[in-house]
Amino acid sequence: MAHADEAAIFNKDEEKVDWHDKALWFVRQKRDKSAHNVKGWETLRNLASAIKANVMSNLDNYLIQFEENAQKNGITVHWAVDADEHNKIVHSILQQTNVKKVVKSKSMLTEECHLNPYLEAHGIEVVDTDLGERIVQLAKEPPSHIVLPAIHKTKEEVDVLFQKHLGTKPSHGDPQYLTNEARKHLRDKFLKADAAITGVNFAIANTGGIVVCTNEGNADMGAHLAKVHIACMGMEKLIPEEKHLGIFLRLLARSATGQPITTYSSHFNKPASGTEMHIIIVDNGRTEQLSREDFRASLHCIRCGACMNTCPIYRRSGGHSYKATIPGPIGSILSPGKDLTKHSDLPFASTLCGSCSDVCPVKINIHEQLYKWRQIITKNVPQPVVKKTILKMAGRVLANTKLYDFAGKSARFMLKYAPRWVVYSKLNTWGKARDLPEIKDGNFDQWYKKRQRHE
Amino acid sequence: MSRTSILNAVKKNKPELLPLPEINLNVFSEDIDLVKTFIENVQFVGGRAILLDSIKDIDAEIKNLYPHAVKMVSCIKESSLGSISISKNTEPHELETIDLAIVKGELAVAENGAVWIAENNFTIRVLPFITNDLVLVVNKEDIHLHMHSAYESISKRDRTFGLFISGPSKTADIEQCLVIGAQGAISLTVFII
Ligand code: SF4
Repeated sequence: MAHADEAAIFNKDEEKVDWHDKALWFVRQKRDKSAHNVKGWETLRNLASAIKANVMSNLDNYLIQFEENAQKNGITVHWAVDADEHNKIVHSILQQTNVKKVVKSKSMLTEECHLNPYLEAHGIEVVDTDLGERIVQLAKEPPSHIVLPAIHKTKEEVDVLFQKHLGTKPSHGDPQYLTNEARKHLRDKFLKADAAITGVNFAIANTGGIVVCTNEGNADMGAHLAKVHIACMGMEKLIPEEKHLGIFLRLLARSATGQPITTYSSHFNKPASGTEMHIIIVDNGRTEQLSREDFRASLHCIRCGACMNTCPIYRRSGGHSYKATIPGPIGSILSPGKDLTKHSDLPFASTLCGSCSDVCPVKINIHEQLYKWRQIITKNVPQPVVKKTILKMAGRVLANTKLYDFAGKSARFMLKYAPRWVVYSKLNTWGKARDLPEIKDGNFDQWYKKRQRHE
Repeated sequence: MSRTSILNAVKKNKPELLPLPEINLNVFSEDIDLVKTFIENVQFVGGRAILLDSIKDIDAEIKNLYPHAVKMVSCIKESSLGSISISKNTEPHELETIDLAIVKGELAVAENGAVWIAENNFTIRVLPFITNDLVLVVNKEDIHLHMHSAYESISKRDRTFGLFISGPSKTADIEQCLVIGAQGAISLTVFII
């Protein structure tokens, strides 16, 4: 099913969509407030972007340096070309250490590799320990957001889910009660786990260490209680030097939720005595993305989720509508790189308003990349006739100043004078559930010329 | 071997070398009251920061704030509240029922209310997470303006395990309602000496 159809399903529950839309916009506003409090915010973004660009241009050397330093500290480093190899490595480590129970903290990479079903098929219990991830795991759903995995669920839904799986009492969805119950439930899992799997937010080449950021403390509860810690990372997570964390940690949480920093930013450099630590470096399509000049910068992503929170399409279509591990604007430029045919509709799930690029802490030109994918897709993937014709017409209009002028004038004329039923007819999908702006006399062009004359 | 094939693919596909940017920290400097800003930010992230005249007052303060805490681990010599002693050989799972832990913070960061603690300050890695309540102690002079300065200060450390802690553990995963006390410590108090 295409993104638009999936979005239509999500939009059936109007109240829920409204809530989803507003809740994410609120997170976006918190991000703004938090960013404005930082002196030199734009400098931080520029630095982060330049550092990531340097990383990509020297990635092989940084990887070698990282591996060498990690090994010196007693960490075992593994390499996986794809998801399958990654899963096999995880499983073989667990087998060697005779592990039956695993606790896992948030890692989009393991989602991407479908690690859980793989391990479960081999008789290993995997418990996701981030509250949001535990909720979607119990619901047998994928996360719908990379930072807020259960943002699509109402508290009443969580209530019912917990009654069924954790034996809680009906509470009309009391968040405090439900979180407390989850805490008890997860405590037990942490204490019984033989191994912990975590993601990696940053891997530091010059120290061989990794940093894992959480608010709940779940990554640490797992990693410090179990005998085996496996950290799974996409190869793009590298940064050159530890001091660069100063830049990235200042940007990450503020962009994600508006917090000045996550509650825990844990720096793992050596395994504790009597325990094992493994790091798996995963490619799974990343080297290919690195070869694409136009899309290379998508590898700079630090997974803050800001582009999702701000995206008018994401907010109103929900993360599941993208049918991809990473939804939203960034997902829509990463996914086509993996499977162009399957994800060919995603670069069109955008208004190209550019809000994503504006908030991105590492300054990825997300909307420009979406536009570039569109050009590739319309050439290579068969398009529906309607879309094709409309795009052709639009292309002709936009290329011709006179026509553009006329089209603009007539559109404004229509908006002003056409009866409501024309604007809000079935033919005009955009008019559904939307009130169009009141039309002022004059357009941008006229306003601009007027303004110039006054100056 | 996957390692070789990945590295070869990177070599082939990477762009021409781009330079690492120069970082000019002057851009981030600000003349602000570090203690005041730090206290405000700890509050903002759900914790509590208290300025003490003397470290001698710490036990009285803790007893006052946590009257029900019984099983306590003190990792600072200035407190005699510790009722459970731990060593390198302590089995981490045994700390499951700890009510309160007191840990020395090496430095703090004004801009985000974070405190840096390193493994040698608390011996058993899981302690600051598994304890019900966490008390951190930092010196006033060790409060830094921002993360850049904090990293400079810890750059020469012996790297094993360490972390920045900003506030108590929390989650907003149920309908974006903030709940303090997720999987880690459910409260955090920072004493500034
Ligand atoms: S693309 Fe940018 S804004 Fe989006 S998740 Fe990645 S870092 Fe955040």
